[in-house]
This record gives sequence, structure tokens and C-alpha cells, in this order.
Amino acid sequence: MTTPNVPIEPRKGDAHTYDVPPTVLDASGEVHVGLTLDAVRPPSEEEILRVDNLTVEFPTEDGVVRAVRGVSYSLREREVLGIVGESGSGKSVSSLAVMGLLPKNARVRGQILFRGDDMLKMSPRKQRGLRGRKIAMVFQDPMTALNPVHTIGDQLAEAVLAHELMPRKTALARAREMLDLVGIPQAESRLRSYPHEFSGGMRQRAMIAMAVINNPDIIIADEPTTALDVTVQAQILEKLLEVKDAVNAAIVLITHDLGVIAGMAHRVLVMYAGRPVEIGDTDPVFEEPRMPYTAGLLGSIPSLENSGTRLRPIKGTPPSLINLPTGCPFSPRCPLADDKCRTAEPELTETDSGGHFAACHHWDRLAAVEDPTVFFRTESETMA
Amino acid sequence: MIVFIARRLVISFFVLLAATFIIFVLTALSGDPLEDLRQDNSPNKDLKIADRVDRMQLDVPIPIRYLGWLGRLVRGELGVNRDGQDVAPLLGHALSATLQLVLVATVMAIIVGIVIGIVSSLRQYSGFDYSVTFAAFICFSLPIFWIAVMLKQYMAIEFNNWLKDPGIPPTVIGVLALLGGLIFGALTAGDRRRRLIAFAVGAAITGALFTLLSVTHWFADPGFGLPLIVAISAAAAVGFTVLSAGLRQRGPLYAALGATLVGALASQVLGPLLANPTWLEILGFALVTVAICVGLGYGLGGIQRRQAITASVLTGLFTGALIFVDRMLQAFNSYSQAVRGRPISTIGARTPNFVGDFWQTNLDSAGHLLLPSMALILVSLATYTRYSRASMLEVMNQDYVRTARAKGLPERSVVVKHAFRNGLIPVTTLMAFDFAGVIGGAVVTENVFGWQGMGNLFIKGLKEVDPAPVMAFFIVTGTAIVVFNMIADILYAYLDPRIRLS
Amino acid sequence: MTLNAQASVPDTASDSQGMAIVARTQGQMVRRRFFRHRAALAGMILFGFVIILAFSSIGFAGIPGWWGKNYLDTGALTNQGRPTLSLIPEFLGGTGLHLGEHPFGQDDIGIDYFALTMRGAQQSITIAFVVGIVATFFGTIVGAVAGYFRGRLEAVLMRLTDVMITIPVLIIAAVVGRMMGDSGALVLGLFLGLVTWPTLSRLVRGEFLSLREKEFVEAARAIGTPPRRIIFRHILPNTIGVIIVSATLGIASAVLLESALSFLGLGIKPPDTSLGQLISEYRSAMVVRPWLFWWPGMFIIVIALSINFIGDGLRDAFDPRQTRVRA
Ligand SMILES: Nc1ncnc2c1ncn2[C@@H]1O[C@H](COP(=O)(O)OP(=O)(O)O)[C@@H](O)[C@H]1O
Ligand code: SF4
Ligand SMILES: [Mg+2]
Repeated sequence: MTTPNVPIEPRKGDAHTYDVPPTVLDASGEVHVGLTLDAVRPPSEEEILRVDNLTVEFPTEDGVVRAVRGVSYSLREREVLGIVGESGSGKSVSSLAVMGLLPKNARVRGQILFRGDDMLKMSPRKQRGLRGRKIAMVFQDPMTALNPVHTIGDQLAEAVLAHELMPRKTALARAREMLDLVGIPQAESRLRSYPHEFSGGMRQRAMIAMAVINNPDIIIADEPTTALDVTVQAQILEKLLEVKDAVNAAIVLITHDLGVIAGMAHRVLVMYAGRPVEIGDTDPVFEEPRMPYTAGLLGSIPSLENSGTRLRPIKGTPPSLINLPTGCPFSPRCPLADDKCRTAEPELTETDSGGHFAACHHWDRLAAVEDPTVFFRTESETMA
Repeated sequence: MIVFIARRLVISFFVLLAATFIIFVLTALSGDPLEDLRQDNSPNKDLKIADRVDRMQLDVPIPIRYLGWLGRLVRGELGVNRDGQDVAPLLGHALSATLQLVLVATVMAIIVGIVIGIVSSLRQYSGFDYSVTFAAFICFSLPIFWIAVMLKQYMAIEFNNWLKDPGIPPTVIGVLALLGGLIFGALTAGDRRRRLIAFAVGAAITGALFTLLSVTHWFADPGFGLPLIVAISAAAAVGFTVLSAGLRQRGPLYAALGATLVGALASQVLGPLLANPTWLEILGFALVTVAICVGLGYGLGGIQRRQAITASVLTGLFTGALIFVDRMLQAFNSYSQAVRGRPISTIGARTPNFVGDFWQTNLDSAGHLLLPSMALILVSLATYTRYSRASMLEVMNQDYVRTARAKGLPERSVVVKHAFRNGLIPVTTLMAFDFAGVIGGAVVTENVFGWQGMGNLFIKGLKEVDPAPVMAFFIVTGTAIVVFNMIADILYAYLDPRIRLS
Repeated sequence: MTLNAQASVPDTASDSQGMAIVARTQGQMVRRRFFRHRAALAGMILFGFVIILAFSSIGFAGIPGWWGKNYLDTGALTNQGRPTLSLIPEFLGGTGLHLGEHPFGQDDIGIDYFALTMRGAQQSITIAFVVGIVATFFGTIVGAVAGYFRGRLEAVLMRLTDVMITIPVLIIAAVVGRMMGDSGALVLGLFLGLVTWPTLSRLVRGEFLSLREKEFVEAARAIGTPPRRIIFRHILPNTIGVIIVSATLGIASAVLLESALSFLGLGIKPPDTSLGQLISEYRSAMVVRPWLFWWPGMFIIVIALSINFIGDGLRDAFDPRQTRVRA
């Protein structure tokens, strides 16, 4: 008999494909997204954003919270980069750092280069000039992200007026156009509505309209569908792709739901405990994960293939960011962990498939099996 | 909205009715209304007692007495007190003094409290924030009568004595400069060096200012004069423009400076009219000012027309207020001589038999109002400060403020447009509660300062177990509280569209 | 134990090593946060000191105290009744640290003013606590019943609180004080409590309104738990923070309320005394014998201030939201 902590030897030939459906499925698995990445213009080679070794720490009463520890990635024009990770893994903090919206007590280090300019070294005024004009953000909860006391039109027009001097009328006309673009009916009269008169989905559409109103180069979408109904989620994601194509922007799409990424992102970055643990093109990462955490996440999403079997969530909880365990932060939960894992933290290294990096001492053991999720199966399942 | 207000009015009416019943019954039960007569040794004691029993209907059950009182009230009568005096004329005199006191204190507390609270929240954990917090706690813990007596002793008497020879000794100037520096330093955000610089600048400015005021004996015959009015007003114009529109465009700034110019011209041209105006005329001037400034903003605003109108109207009204204060200050010397050099009064609501022009009478009122409202204001001021600070802190942490920043709005717009209005919403609910508190405080304050106000009517009535004056007091204050409640509700609905539209 | 120490110890009970999600009871967290609040701590020490001083010095309820004089005996005036307390040490030009015969001085008929002030403090504190307890009790019951049962009962109770709020507290308290001022501190406190509960009942009702919709209450209802049990066992413990905080702040304002009433001559009556009564009695002495005015005032401020600080510490401890920064 083996205990759960001792890795179970995977069986070769256990055929399994990650047929992750594009974007989300509802309970019956029927809602598909009409528009996919393949249908929109491909990314160019031009790099517009480069995040280099970004760290963010918060001094708190209980100690220093190391929310982000050395995140690096780059983003090309029109590219969609997915950032995935459990909640608390530092996704929001790292993207707020890019926006320059972290609370004052945050300690930020590293580089954030927008078209070669380090945003962390810019004057606040210059940084503000980029915010909302070149880099825009869509937040998680549309119920609270809009100001309840101003009209939708006001809030949209204001986003234009913050960067461009023009008569209010012109700004409102632009706002109306944007509402049309994101598919809000009767845009003209909706300009005068207050947020509480909108449904959740409509508010998120309005947020998207606000994000693209200045033709930004980058849209950071922080879990844009998490707070919405499953049926609305797909529509919102589709809309996001559509407007991205309309304004030629790149997207950083943050989510804790791998299913969302599948049809939506060119590349994916997996975060764990404030660190990137796997990064690469979406297909290789999904089909051949080289980090047990990613494999575990993949094993815990519903798909058409495994809809009959039980979901296998990863056991345990993420570590405290104040007191990280030594070695690999995933080691307390990892079925492959050994002494090396518990003493040395693995660096991101290139794996067998090109451009695909993973932070794991034993990525080769995942490469050796057909279906890496097998490590996360419970005993009974393995026996069966 | 109208339905909402009407509903509230109906409910308030019944609430007020129930409250009158409670107060009436409790007052009637609170003691023996014949107490003084029972100890009377005069031969016609029995007659006096019978007389009062008859007048106060003491032989009738209390609820019936209440109905009788209510019946008279419906006919517009407030009844007679136990000595047979009509209550209505007594109330008439008391009313205006008390309402003046209560309103001045409330309005000042709201404005100053909210401003301090907001600044304190924007500078959370600064020296200023800590000082304000500590001061607020002290204010919460001060017995109002105690502070009133202290003010009377140290502010009024000592200040009046000092006015005889208003020079400021160097040590006091030093202390004042230090204070000024501390305030500047505490208000400045940033590292130690910036704060030190701010401290030095603040101390220097304050020190120089008071030295100047001292050597010129400014306090003996105060006033601004035209150059100073123009300078202050222009500074205000720039400030209001920065707050409302920013300085990216010239339009709003020109409109606001235009308002300064018009104000300065008006103060010279209107000289004779301002010699002895009436309040109605002052109101008229204010309206004309607003109209002119709207025109200026409209004409010069360009793209930022709305913001320009805001800036110029604010500047115009501010300049008007400045001219008003200047006039008052100019009248100070003659007024001070008229009251034998004791302008800060400790007794009553006005100097008996004082006759003067518009400015002097206003100074007289102000001199009498100063100390009582200072005593009365402390608790409310602390409450508004704490409340708006907490509210702003909460609002500044809201998602929509982050959204506003994400749009690239300057911090000024984030605070003024997104945080401020939301932060005010919970403060409106405080207004009604606080107003009732101020009325209670006014009773105590009037007592200390010997005002023949409503508080006096109430206390005397209560001590004599005489419901009529007590009820007269309550009808007025209760109605005031209901009205104030209503204003707070309307303000709430104005600020929060979720209420307005539902 | 501090968080850091606990977090570094692997949690052997589960297989999730290195986790710092340390289970701590609500009570422990509240206590920890309270004791971190320096002003609250100072307030507590100060208030404890005042209570011990007031009740032990001249004795209480027949138990004799350590201070030789009492608050009723008159005597000859020494040095015009000036305070003999000296706090300035000799090397600073003072007369050294000593209490002297009458540390707080004497009043105009020679009563020891320290004893008198201590008696006043006893009365004021007693009244404040009785008011606090009575008002909290009624406020909680009314608020809980109104918030839980809603419907007509709520409407009636809320209109009742509306009535009480339309009447300024000082006004109704003055009427009650006129009625009960002669009956001693306990009775006066009781009746004042009976008119000051509406503030708390509003707060409690608000809490109940939101808590009654929560899952755990629904669950309790679903399995047929009787309302009384739901109110007391399930909801009330969750509102305890709000109740304790406002009870504390209520006590602080009761100190001020009582003193204001006594100042107006509508509270405690002579020969018994309270801090407000002392100030009222000697208000005209301000110019000639200011100490008769200063001492009771200082005690009112110290008592109210320290209770207010305790209340603030409790608020932070129960609801740390305001003091934290969010991402
Ligand atoms: N202002 C802050 N102060 C202290 N800790 C913070 C702050 N903001 C975020 N954190 C912590 O940083 C970690 C990462 O948070 P976040 O980036 O929001 O995670 P997510 O991946 O779910 O978006 C969390 O553990 C969170 O508690
Ligand atoms: S390094 Fe070790 S513990 Fe970490 S993920 Fe890889 S195998 Fe697991
Ligand atoms: Mg997040």
C-alpha cells in the first residue's frame, strides 16, 4: 500500500488527451464561443511590454507578505497572454504593479518596460499618461468597479477627457460608440443610466468599453468573468476578443480557471505562491505540462472526456506568503516531492519542448508519462 | 422622490405627536408643581394654591390635560405658564437667539469637520492625522459646560484685556510660528526632507505674518484693504481652478481670475451701497455675483465650460465673503469703542440697547455668538471629523476609486469627483442625529452664557413642573429636528441615485 | 505565541506542512489587536487607576477607605482652602512631591475637596455604568427582536425608537433627572438607561437584518431551531462586537450626560454630589478659587477620555477593516 504522499508510478499508455473546450462550458457543456483566437489578427513580433524580475512585498503587522517574487514575461503586439493560478498566487498584485495602482505601502522592485521605457522609474505624471490610454484594465467585479453615483456616460467620457481635451459632447459621442461596440443596446439612452440599472454582464461590457475607449495597446483583464453567470461568461470573453481586434490591443488575461485560457490565449503563464512556475505556448503547456502544479490544475477541470469521472482537486492549500517553506513552494502538496524539492527552490528552466519553461526539479518525470495528471489520482482510481 | 418625502413627512408628524405626549406626561409627573407655594407662609397661601390648581388644571387627569394642550396648539395657542403669562411672546424672544446659535454651530461643524476629516483621511497616519484624531477624542470627552466656563474665563476676559494693547510678545510669535510650521509639516506628504522644508516655510510665513500684524497694531483696527483682497482672491481663483479643472487649459483660470477682478471693482464701486445695507441687499449682491460668474465661466470656459463656471462662481462667492468680512473688520474699531473695549461678550445674545449700523449690529451678534458656538461646536466638530475621515478612508479603498485611477485621472479628480461625493453619503445620515445633540448642547451652553433663549425657557419650565413652556420649547426644537431630518434625507437622495430613483 | 513562531512549526495534524493559516479563535484575535492599541491600553490603565482611587480612598457602601477625611465633615479653612498637593520637585524650584493636608484644597465651608471629588467620581462612575448596562440590555433586546422578526413588531419598535430619537437625549434625560434626581445614583442611572437605549437598538437591528439572511441562520431555521435559540445562540454572538463597542462609548457619553444634568441642577442633588454637581456649585468660584472648578472637570475628562479610548481599541479589535490597507 502506498500513502498519498509517495508518488504513484504512472502507467504508460494511459491514453488521455486534454481536450479542453474553448473558453467555458456551462453545466451541460453546450455554450461555445463563436469567436476564437484563430479568427482574430495574429500577434506581431514587436514586443510592447516586458516585465523583468518583478517583486512586490507588503510590510504588514504580521510580517512581510511576499506577494510577487520574481515575475518575468513579455508581451507582443496583439498577443493574448494568459496568467493562471489559484487565488492568492499574486496575479492581481503583479498586474496592478504594471498599472501603477498598488497601495502606497507596497515595495516594488524589478523592471516594467513599456515599449522600452521603465514605468517604475517614470514620473508619476508620465505614468498617469500611460494609464488608461496605453494600458487599460478591466477588473474582476463589475458590481463594485463602477462608481454608483455617476452615470455610465459620465464615467466613460471622463476616461477620454483624462487624456484628451475635447468638448464633453464629443467625448460622450465616443462613449456612445463604444457602448455600441461592446453590444449594449440603445447606447444613446444608456449613457444616462446609473450602474445599478445595469445587469452584471452589462456592467462588465461597460467596463470593457471604458478600457478600449482610448484605443489602448494593452488591456489587462483581471478575472473579468469570475463574478458573472456562466452563461454570460462566454459572451464577455468573446466580446473581449472582438474589441481587442477592433482596437488592435494585446491582452493580459488573468484567471484562476484554466478552461478560460484554452481558446483565448496564445501563451500562458502559470503562477504559484507569487512565482511563475510554468510558461509557454498554450498548447504545449496544456498538452505536456512540465510542472506538477499545472498538471494538478489540469486534472481538476471538467472536460468532455472526463465528465464521467470524479474531479481531482489538488490537496492542501497554498503556503503563507509571509513564511514560505524552504525549497519548492509546491513541495508540501506535490506528489513528486523529495528531499531535493524540500531544500532547493527550482529555477525556471527550459523543458523538452521549445519555448516552454517550468520551475520543477523533476519535470522530466512528467515528460516520461503520457498523462501527467495521473500523479494526482487517488489510490482507488489508480487501482480501478 | 416626492412620494418619498411626503411619506417621511407623514411619519414624522405622528412621531412628533407621540413625542409631545411622552414629554408632556413625563414633565407633568416630574415633580410637585405646588412645591414653592406649600412652603409659602403668606396668609393667602390657600388662595394662591387654588388659583394655580385651577390655571394648570391640576385636578384633571394628565392625559386630559394633554388633550387640552393639544387642542389649544391646533388653534395656534401655546398656552400660559404657571404664573399666567402667555408663552408665545416669551418664546418669540428666545427663538431667534437659540436658532441662530444652533444653526451657526451646526453649519460650521459640518463644513469644518468634513474638510478636516477629508484632509486627515488623505494624510492617513501623518502627524496631522494623529493630532486630529487625538483632538477629536479630547473633544468627545469634554463636558460642554466646563469648556464653556473655561472659554468665558480665558478667551473672552483675557482676550478683551489683550485688545487694549494688541501687541504680540516675541515668545508668543515664536510659539505661533512653531505651530504654523508643525501644521505645514504635518500636512505635507513625502519624505523627511520635504516635511522639514515645509516646516521651515510654514514657520517662517506664520512668524512673519504675526510679527507684521503685531508691529502695525492690526488687531486694534483690523481690515484687509483692496490689495490684500485682490491677492487672496486671486490665490483662491487659482486654487478653485486647480480643484475643478486643473491648469491644462487657460479658459477656467481666466474665468476665475475674471471673477476676482469683478469682485475687486465691485467693492470699490459699490462702496456707498455697502455703507449700511440690509441682509436682503446682501443676498441680492450674492445672486448678482453668481449670475455674473456663470456668464464669465460660460464665455471664457472654452472646452471646459462646466468646470470654468464652477471655478468662477466659487471664486466670486469667496471674494464676496472676503469683502463682507473686510467690512465687518473695518467696523470693528468703532464697535469696540461703543462697547467700551470688550467686543467678545460673555453674557446674553446681544448688547442691551445697542444701536449701530448693519456692520456693527452684526459684529455685536458675532461677538455674542463666538464663545457659545465655540463651546457648542466642539462635540459636533469632532463627530463630523471622525465620521467623514472613516467614510473617506472606506471610500478610497473602493474598487471604483481604483477604476478611476486606472483611467489615468489625476489624483485631484479621483478625490473630488469619485471619492468625495460617495464619502458624503453616510455623513448625511449623521446630520439628523447630530442636530438633536446640538440642541441638547445649546440648552447647556445658554445656561453658562446667561442667554434668555429657549434652553432657559425649558429649564425654568421643567424646574417649576410647568408643561406649557417645556412643550413650547419642544414643539419648536422637535419641528426643527424633523425639518433637519428631511433636509438630510433630501441631500442623501441627491447624492445617491440608487435612493433617488427607487 | 506570535504568528511567526507558529507558522514555522510544521503542523503535524495535517499533511499540509508550512501553512500559516493558523487557527486562532475570534477571542484571541480580538485580544491581540486590542492590546496592540496603545491608546486603549493607556485608557484602560488610567481608568482602572481612577476607579481604584475613587472607591478605595474614601470607602464605599459602608466600607471605610484609607483617606482620613470624608466628604461631609466641614472644618476650618487653612490657607484659604488652597490645594496642598505639590508635584514639582525641589530641584525645579517647587516644594517637592507631597500630598499635604488637603491635596485638592477645601471648599468654602472647609470640606476636604479630595474627598468630595472622590465621592463625585464614585457617583458619576456608578451612574455611567448603570446607564450603560441598562441601555445595552434594552437596546439589544429591542434591536434583536425588531431585526429578527421584522413585520409589524419591527415597525412598532422602530417608530418607538424614532420617537426617542426626535427627543434630544439631554431633554428627555433632564425630565427624568428632574423626576429621579433625589433618589440616588442607582435609580437615576436606571431611569437614564431607560431613555438612552434607542441608539444601540438601531445598530443591533441593522446587524440582525443582515445576519438573519446568512446561510448559517437559514440552516438553523431549516432544521426547526426555535427563534429564541437562533437569536441568542446564532446571531447574537456575531453582533457582540458592535454591542460591546457601543456599550463602551455609551458609558463614556453617560458620564458626560450625568455631569451635564447635575450641572443644570437636574441630576444628583446636594448634600450628595457628583462631578457635574461640583462644577455647577462652584462655577462662580472660577476666578477666586479655580481649583474647585478644575479638579472635578479634570476627573470627568480623564474618565470620559479613557473610556473613549478603550472603546476605540475595542472597535479596532472587533472590526479591523478600517485599519488595513487593501490591494
Ligand atoms: N495591500 C496588501 N497588503 C498585504 N497583502 C496583500 C495586499 N494585497 C495583496 N496581498 C496579498 O498578496 C497575495 C497575492 O494577492 P493577489 O495578487 O490578489 O492574488 P490573486 O492571484 O488571487 O489575484 C495574497 O496573499 C494577498 O493576501
Ligand atoms: S520541484 Fe519538486 S516539489 Fe516542486 S513541483 Fe517539482 S517535483 Fe514537485
Ligand atoms: Mg485576484
